[in-house]
Amino acid sequence: MHYRPFAFIAALVAIGGAPVFAQSPAAQSPAAKAAPAKKAWTPPRTPDGQPDLQGVWTNNTATPLERPKELTGKEFFTETELAENQKKEHARVENNEEEGRPTQPGTAEDVHYDFSQYALDRGQTKLVWNRRTSLIVGPEGTIPPLTPEARKRVAERAAKNKGHEFDGPENQPLGARCLARANVGPPLLPTAYNSNLAIFQSPGYVAIETEMIHDVRMIPTDGRPHISKNIRQWMGDSVGHWEGNTLVVDTTNFTDQNPFPGAQNLHVIERFTRADADTILYQFTVEDPGMWTKPWSGEMPITKIPGQLYEFACHEGNYALADILRGARVAEEDAAAKKSAK
Amino acid sequence: MRTKLLVMFAGVGLFLSAAPVWAHHAFAAEFDSNKPIKLRGTVTKWEVTNPHSWIYIDVKDEAGNVVPWMIEGGSPNSLYRLGFTRDSLPVGTEILVDGYQAKDKSNRAVGKNITLPSGKRLFLGGSAPGAGDSPEGEKK
Repeated sequence: MHYRPFAFIAALVAIGGAPVFAQSPAAQSPAAKAAPAKKAWTPPRTPDGQPDLQGVWTNNTATPLERPKELTGKEFFTETELAENQKKEHARVENNEEEGRPTQPGTAEDVHYDFSQYALDRGQTKLVWNRRTSLIVGPEGTIPPLTPEARKRVAERAAKNKGHEFDGPENQPLGARCLARANVGPPLLPTAYNSNLAIFQSPGYVAIETEMIHDVRMIPTDGRPHISKNIRQWMGDSVGHWEGNTLVVDTTNFTDQNPFPGAQNLHVIERFTRADADTILYQFTVEDPGMWTKPWSGEMPITKIPGQLYEFACHEGNYALADILRGARVAEEDAAAKKSAK
Repeated sequence: MRTKLLVMFAGVGLFLSAAPVWAHHAFAAEFDSNKPIKLRGTVTKWEVTNPHSWIYIDVKDEAGNVVPWMIEGGSPNSLYRLGFTRDSLPVGTEILVDGYQAKDKSNRAVGKNITLPSGKRLFLGGSAPGAGDSPEGEKK
């Protein structure tokens, strides 16, 4: 399987701007191998001669991971449609219309702070655009179905936790516990806000820091093998090597809880190619034959942003977890009091 | 085309999981949708922390007693990127909070809509009028 590099106009846009990514709808097969990119632009090099990926980047985008059902079979928007999408997104932010569906007061869904108040609406910071209708490439554009065995396993896990979600912190989501977040992966996926990362390089290492939630993934490029299969880590174990101007990262040794709960033998391959001064083309392939019927791949451009990452010290002010558990205890007492009052 | 685009935006919220994009934890597990509150108070402290900032306000009840409340807000990182700092919500600022009270019945709430007395939204001015108010707004 070979991967054809596509020509694209490398300009990242804020809302309502300027030149956009144009991609030829070439056959997009899973990025198992890549032919070296034939570009006029030569990336700068680090002092030890590696292509330079360093800087602060964002992968904030309006493009969903999976292609909406209504767009099945449509892998790319036209230039006109893309311009329309950008206009709509801009208008949405101007009108302070929340992402997703509007909520009714008094419903559970209405219980949250106003995101745009805190500049947390994705449209309030730099957005990455291209003509893709989903991050996942290919005709379907969706995560493949679970294997029957995986479906059973995932259902059993859910059944086990049902009714116990508030027993203690261990029953709460990893994100609520500030332990791990799916957007860190790998693969690196956009997250609702602060969807930023910083890349650092030194001889023999590439380090990727994600703002959410202040995680650093160390990627050695000295050719060492993966760690023992018996060691599982929140972000797995990554090893990298260079293929031309592309950093290829291979990650295994995940736990079965993150980023895809239930996947017990996850394997992720990422490719980072500096396309121009402001762009890295980020591609990934995810596979686990014990989880999905086939591998799946995605890609997106990530763009340089000025400034720095801010420390998202998740544990620092995480009153919420204690509040959630306390609220559950109060609800239980109320329910018990009601019962005994009868 | 219009329909397609509307539908596309209905789908964009679904990143990895099916959970709404804002739920790193369930707000509804922390705050009670059956306990809406409307408060008017003065800021005594602003904890500029992650994962959530907290605005501490003193609220006068009907009897004139001062009752302290904590209002949960959002991550400050993006605010900082827009030029706000921890001095952007001075002590003494009067704010109006429209939200939901904590499930454990404590004096904590999530601030769904927070405005200044002028009607201007906190931090970001929005479409409500009110020039010359602190804290800073209208930055982009």
